[in-house]
Amino acid sequence: MIVAEQKSLEEIRRIIAPYEKVLLLGCGTCVTVCGAGGEREVAFLNSALRVAQAKSDDGVHNFSEYTVKRQCDFEFLDVLVDKVNEVDTILSLGCGIGVQVVAERFPDIPILPGVNTSFMGMAKEWGVWDERCAACGDCRLAETAGICPITRCTKGILNGPCAGTKNGKCEANKDMDCAWILIYKRLERLHQLEKMRRYYPPRNFRVIPRPRRIVMKADIEQGEDNG
Amino acid sequence: MDNEVTNYQNNRMREASHGRSLIPPCQVACPLHMEIGEYVDLVAQGKVLEALQVIREGNPFPSICAYVCTHPCEDACRRSQVDKSIAIRALKRFAVEFGGDRMIELEAETVQSEKVAVVGSGPAGLACAYYLRKLGYPVAIFEAYSELGGMLRVGIPQYRLPREVVDTEVQRLIHMGVEIKTNTRVISIDLLLDMGYKAVFITVGAHQSLRMGIEGEESPGVIDGATFLREVNLGLKPSLGEEVAVVGGGNVAMDAARAAVRLGADKVSILYRRSRTEMPASPDEIEQALEEGVETMFLVAPTKMKRENGRLSVTCVRMELGEPDAGGRRRPVPIEDSEHNMEFDTLITAIGQAPQISEDFRLRLGRGSTIQVDPVTLTTNRTGIFAGGDAVTGPATVTQALASGRQAAFRINDYLRHRYPSVDKEAEETLSGELLPKTIETIRKIERLEPPLLPPEARTKEFKPVELIYNWEAAVDEARRCLRCGMGAEIMFQDKCATCLTCLRICPYHVPYLDEGGTIQIPADQCQACGICVAECPAKAIVLRKPYDRRHIDEELEHALKSAAESKSKPLIIGFCCQYGLFGTGALASLWREGKAGIWIVPVLCVAKLEGGHILRAFEMGAEGVFVAGCGERCSRENTAFWVLQRVEEVRRALSQIGLEQERLQTFNLRAADGDITEALDNFTGRIGGLCLASVMKQEVKS
Repeated sequence: MIVAEQKSLEEIRRIIAPYEKVLLLGCGTCVTVCGAGGEREVAFLNSALRVAQAKSDDGVHNFSEYTVKRQCDFEFLDVLVDKVNEVDTILSLGCGIGVQVVAERFPDIPILPGVNTSFMGMAKEWGVWDERCAACGDCRLAETAGICPITRCTKGILNGPCAGTKNGKCEANKDMDCAWILIYKRLERLHQLEKMRRYYPPRNFRVIPRPRRIVMKADIEQGEDNG
Repeated sequence: MDNEVTNYQNNRMREASHGRSLIPPCQVACPLHMEIGEYVDLVAQGKVLEALQVIREGNPFPSICAYVCTHPCEDACRRSQVDKSIAIRALKRFAVEFGGDRMIELEAETVQSEKVAVVGSGPAGLACAYYLRKLGYPVAIFEAYSELGGMLRVGIPQYRLPREVVDTEVQRLIHMGVEIKTNTRVISIDLLLDMGYKAVFITVGAHQSLRMGIEGEESPGVIDGATFLREVNLGLKPSLGEEVAVVGGGNVAMDAARAAVRLGADKVSILYRRSRTEMPASPDEIEQALEEGVETMFLVAPTKMKRENGRLSVTCVRMELGEPDAGGRRRPVPIEDSEHNMEFDTLITAIGQAPQISEDFRLRLGRGSTIQVDPVTLTTNRTGIFAGGDAVTGPATVTQALASGRQAAFRINDYLRHRYPSVDKEAEETLSGELLPKTIETIRKIERLEPPLLPPEARTKEFKPVELIYNWEAAVDEARRCLRCGMGAEIMFQDKCATCLTCLRICPYHVPYLDEGGTIQIPADQCQACGICVAECPAKAIVLRKPYDRRHIDEELEHALKSAAESKSKPLIIGFCCQYGLFGTGALASLWREGKAGIWIVPVLCVAKLEGGHILRAFEMGAEGVFVAGCGERCSRENTAFWVLQRVEEVRRALSQIGLEQERLQTFNLRAADGDITEALDNFTGRIGGLCLASVMKQEVKS
């Protein structure tokens, strides 16, 4: 799940300043789950922006709100066609993907981001989210007992732990578990400690071309089926 | 609900306030299907007039039920799975008394020409007349005795139902235009038809005591319960002597025994052939009789009686309990050679009653001499003749009789309008299911408050009502124990639900669960309707089945903002206050009755339903300060304070980013034991006044 965090009201107010009619656009998937940009947060932001407007005298906005099921696919955005014509900008509370898809779908209107897309992670408990995956494109979790050192080790090292581990915690943050200690303990539990003894060479990030694209469909040539 | 007139209103009310709520078990159990959850909730809010209005819509004579209803609703109440059921009847009594029921005047217009005769003026007859009048029919009640009320007057002792209550209801019927013919025993139905009545409702009750069928039953000193109670209730004082025995274990036996105590008998004993657990009398009645000194002898039955030396010699046999009979009660079996003699001055038999229907009525009778009717239409074997009440069912409760009378009125209306009977539509879903142990565990236990009773010493000297009325605080506290069955949360928009699991994680009662298909379910029979998940759902996919509770906040807020704008008092402070227990508009509002204009109270039905948007709306509309006041320790729900504080922090974060001081938003009394927040509130208003002044000065400096 993509985890995002709503931008500060100050920043949002700064970026919407030039526009009068603003559509606050929520997304009903990841950012709903992480409490950054679902219908509830859109409504709250709308209320907060109205208060800000009432209590200051910089510019008059006209806010409207809408939440689509998912911003990261064109088809979900079709319902916005008429609404888009009536506003001057869209403040998307979708993740960075959503913002770009909305921008691509509606080329004639400025799209503004309302959240900072932070990481891919999970809800540790209600109201607390933790990062779990860096989308490195080269998953090594089989060797690390299902615990990702790329995201969960501050240094992201592949052969840990480093000398900064103390009492199972990380030197960078005493409240944070050392990922490599977690990996060690779990491998021990699984009787796979031999995996600790191997050396994992550094990865070559240059081989990953950006932007990445995955093509799942087979490349079928026209006219092949004439047999 | 099957009345056209009230049906329309009910439907409208239901749509407006109930939304998709399920019918709770109390309402299902009530013979009149009264909207119990609704009026109990209104009492909890201190809205006693509104509560009475809801009560009156479902019950023609609430004041009577308030005294004598056997409250099957309380037996069905799911709170009894947690601790004890809600004292529904006593709450109704409170609403009836404090809502000023006796002041209500009813009028009815005659819009139909067909005359209807009601034979018998017991609760069924009175109810039938009431509804027929409301439907616009000319109605006449024929009563054999000198006063109306049937068993209400001649069967139920005054200490349970004061006569003034019956009188008030009768007066109301007269005011509605019901024609009353007392001292008129109907001997022939044909005569009524000849007199031009197009329909007749026979509801003559079950006044005939059953005989024990034993030797000596005719002896002087033996009297049947119905006759005895009739004499007592009509103001005669039968002389009983010193020692009285009452045979039987039903409510009539209890009434007779307790009446005997009040008439001055030294020793009153109840002889019952089974044991206490099998007694059909209501447990409260038994309890109160024991308190008043009535003695009980179980597993004993008289076999013969003889009048000797001015006293009754009663031969009794001991019983033991055998196999359960068809009704499920264990059958008493006489023990051989267990005969023994006892002496009494008077013996009252109260082993059951049956109707006595004149043969001239030419009505088909069934078991126990009751009139046979179609259970849906209440029609007898004769066209246009309907029957109901005890005459059809055998001895039953007042509320059942009222329901039967109401049903008769609507069926008579169908008949006279030549319409196929519009039978009760079972369109609305009922709430079924027991509370799960894990739900019960998390529900706050709150002791049931009983209404005060007269002390036993004071009771037995006269026929004054035994039960007193709740005071305001007790009634409100008792009412808020209600679990609000059927009004809980539901995922209204499954397509919107992102399955984020917020509801599952935050529910104080662990009600939502993930089904095997990965869909969140909120079982209606477990939800406690606290509203926390509704406010927290990030997708806004959850609603309360009774949406009024939430919408109410918007309405009250807009109302307050509008009034505040008109009054122009400064600084404007909005207070969202729990309305349960009358906290917001009662205890709290009284704090600034003297000259603290500028504070506007928005009553909310539990602060857990308050959302950040509501608070922000107040600031947007010019509030200089906002506070949220809960009802403290008296809250009947879990975790409300935690969630209010979460939302308050959320709003404070936004305020500080806008450049407003966080102290403009305060909470009071979310967890405190006592509700006195005068000082804290004074400080708050003082600070807001200061902030307000400072910002005005800043403005001036700027310009």
